[in-house]
Amino acid sequence: MSEYKVLPGPEAFLPPAAASMGVVLPDPGEAHIEGRIVPEEEAYEYAARKLLAGKVPTLFPGPLVLWKWNDKAALKAAAIRRLADAIPARLIPMADYRPKYPKIDPEAEINPNHPNLTIWHNKIDVCIFIGVHCHQANLALKIIRGGTNCYTMAMCAQAGHEDACLSFRDLTVEKIDKMTETVKRLKSEGVESQAEGFKQFKMTSAGRS
Amino acid sequence: MNKEVDVKGKKGTRSQHVKLGQKNKKDQTFTDVEDMFAAKDQQGPSFLTGSEVIRDAIKVASVDISVAYPITPQSEAAALIGELYAEGYLLDYFRGESEFAVMGQCAGASFGGARVFTTTAGPGTLRAMENFPMWAGSRLPIQVCVTCRGINSPLSIQPDTLEMHYLLETGMLVWHAETAQDLYDFILAGFIVSEQPDVHLPLANCCDGFFVTHTKDTVQKAPEDLCLTPYDPYKSPVPCMDMECPPVRMMRDPFVMKSNYISYATHASWQQEVRAAVERSRKHTIQLLGGLIETENLDREILIVSSGTAVSQGREAIRLLEEEGIKVGLVKIKTIRPFPNEELLEATANAKHIFVPEFNMAGWLAREIKALLPNNERVYAGPHVAGGMTMPSEVIAEEIKKHLGIATDSWGGC
Amino acid sequence: MSKEKIVLCDDLADIMPPEYLDLVKDATYGNQDRGWKDVGSSKELIEQHSLCAGCPESIAFRYVLASLPAPEDTVFVGSTGCTSLVFPHVAVQNIHSLFGNQNAIASGLHRALKVRFPDKVKDVVVLAGDGATVDIGLDMTLQSWFRQEKFTTICFDNELYANTGGQESGLMQKGFVSKMAPVGKLFDKVRLPEIARESGCHYVACLTVSKPNRVEKALKNAILVAREFGPTFLQLYTPCILEIGKQSMEGLDEMKDAEAIGGRFVYKEYATDEVKKFLKEKDAEEKARKKAAKNQG
Repeated sequence: MSEYKVLPGPEAFLPPAAASMGVVLPDPGEAHIEGRIVPEEEAYEYAARKLLAGKVPTLFPGPLVLWKWNDKAALKAAAIRRLADAIPARLIPMADYRPKYPKIDPEAEINPNHPNLTIWHNKIDVCIFIGVHCHQANLALKIIRGGTNCYTMAMCAQAGHEDACLSFRDLTVEKIDKMTETVKRLKSEGVESQAEGFKQFKMTSAGRS
Repeated sequence: MNKEVDVKGKKGTRSQHVKLGQKNKKDQTFTDVEDMFAAKDQQGPSFLTGSEVIRDAIKVASVDISVAYPITPQSEAAALIGELYAEGYLLDYFRGESEFAVMGQCAGASFGGARVFTTTAGPGTLRAMENFPMWAGSRLPIQVCVTCRGINSPLSIQPDTLEMHYLLETGMLVWHAETAQDLYDFILAGFIVSEQPDVHLPLANCCDGFFVTHTKDTVQKAPEDLCLTPYDPYKSPVPCMDMECPPVRMMRDPFVMKSNYISYATHASWQQEVRAAVERSRKHTIQLLGGLIETENLDREILIVSSGTAVSQGREAIRLLEEEGIKVGLVKIKTIRPFPNEELLEATANAKHIFVPEFNMAGWLAREIKALLPNNERVYAGPHVAGGMTMPSEVIAEEIKKHLGIATDSWGGC
Repeated sequence: MSKEKIVLCDDLADIMPPEYLDLVKDATYGNQDRGWKDVGSSKELIEQHSLCAGCPESIAFRYVLASLPAPEDTVFVGSTGCTSLVFPHVAVQNIHSLFGNQNAIASGLHRALKVRFPDKVKDVVVLAGDGATVDIGLDMTLQSWFRQEKFTTICFDNELYANTGGQESGLMQKGFVSKMAPVGKLFDKVRLPEIARESGCHYVACLTVSKPNRVEKALKNAILVAREFGPTFLQLYTPCILEIGKQSMEGLDEMKDAEAIGGRFVYKEYATDEVKKFLKEKDAEEKARKKAAKNQG
């Protein structure tokens, strides 16, 4: 088993890929926490506590759930909104993967080529990637681990991400809802959200309203 | 330093494809690859050349598109795949204008969401070379069968594995088949491993030209009324370029530069991610190939460690030495990328002498092994032949004896 | 993609950057009458670019993107050069692979889309510079035409290698002094339109991008003919003002000069008799459709 732990950074000028340090992806029914393979059940509770403990918990939805390219995507988007409302967490989109020119608005967008800008700008200390293509997610997760102290999580529809501090795999709408339920349950048991007050921005053609 | 990948007790990733159990237009049933392998016992062995084996593997591999270009010794296989196309087993097939173009055409088809197979050899591999890191960087799970041949002047069409050395740092998976049976199994397993969403990399499935492609061998095949489940481009870790999935504002693959706001960390992370994907292939490969290496008699102090047909010659050399009372064990390496680090450390733990016979002048495999093992003075790089020479098992046996100071009927060294 | 897929999920639409809200609301995907006149009045498919101020390539890009018959089912293949700085910002999926292999990529891509979507029209369009088309990639350009691959090749001809700093290319004029042609280019500008015609292109047009309606017509012709008949080719003069020593404002004049009588880019069009007949029928259909729409409106 690998000794390497996938912990928040800032880790290094160029941190290694966790897979190259021997961290193996979970099998179906499993998740990983900081490189440790655990039953998926265990990860819900751990992730929910992390989200509630964060000062600036943030969800980063990607193109696969932002665009209604199939019915499932729309259902996932609705489930993501419910999760964000339950925590409560900010929603910041990864609208696409292009090197954005001349620059992004780091308060309202995250980009895989320089995700650190968004983390730094908003002082995000815990986040979830969801609906981002795996390759792009791993680029972003590594850069975040390298240069920020953000605790990263991934809710992945495929095999999961070792470059996140915590990762689910085979994501479904039901699993997002289960995360929401776990958050609500913890809150009902007295675990309080530490999130700083914020107002979720709304976009129009003219910009933020 | 790579650490051990713990795959003990791992459950395999079985195909979840919606078409599993359904039939294609050739009346073949879409089947999980492990069930296809399990069904190999249902019929007697076939006696085939390596080229025919490539054809028969592709016949049951649900390949969408293959692009061909003639170069010895892979031409026959490429032409036989054309016959499969004529029979309706592939959806498209054509001859490209050069290996550089063929690999581009394969890339285009893969960008467009098709399962793609091609073949090349020697000078063709080198002409195509610019494409291979592009394939890997673009995360295109194309499979190319490389039938190794000489690449130096003067031109030789005969087997020489030097071209594999050029493939090692392309970011591709690189496997090395010893026999026709390996080749059959590697092709089928190869599609499934390289198309896993967490891997999704091209595969160079290498075999030694002529020794494998043109000699006949017995092979256990899956029944031809089964076939692999199709490739699903929407499980890809990168967007498929068909304007059917988001984002539509998408360039594959942009060079991230010319902006003060963008860090070259993207490029570095991209390269790391490709290598990470090679690492991720370990668990899938171990599951489908039964391990990255095969071993015999690891308790012995002398080992032959090699890949490809050098392993076959090594086996025979072991038999010859056994007759003289010299006991030698064997390690066969199946995957060069990923390199079986932990497996080799474990397998060679007790060895005092490690011989690495190779069909190339450079001895690149011995170098890889030396770079990995502690006390690497144990590793003897050789014997070598090159340019198409055979490597008689007697030569291996003699060289081992000579190195160990045992009297031999010397052939003269090489 | 059917245009219906280019919509946002209701529950997350309000966090999307404005350019995407606009794209869904005001882009002209699926609009039969789309054309150059939409530039500036609808949401364009090019978001931004890092080309030089006044670069004719940028306006050429905008005309091309505005005039595609079916951008929701079009995939571009580009190559290395100035054009590849624009492509990341284009709202049509596109591929950059290697320098010069664009027609090989397009061949494989078009075939994959054909076998995956046999009942759909998927347009593949190559758009590359002159270095990629006529020098490093000439083999693959011509061979895709010989093979009768059914896609359109567009060459943005600026008569030199611009992105690397102004070196000689095959499409440079004879005698022009540039980097790597220190005593002037020693051979004639390669006659690519004629080569295209002889290599099996069914429709070829060579023009500047000074007149947007001409660009629109040539592009639509090229794509419609490629769907039905086989390869088509457009050569568009997009001068590199920087490397020929002109000011940002002088691109248009440069193009007008080049297309004037005796110039290198006097409008040129080749089409087979079959294609001429086909385009005539298409034009008649189009006219009838617009007339009917007008009467209804």
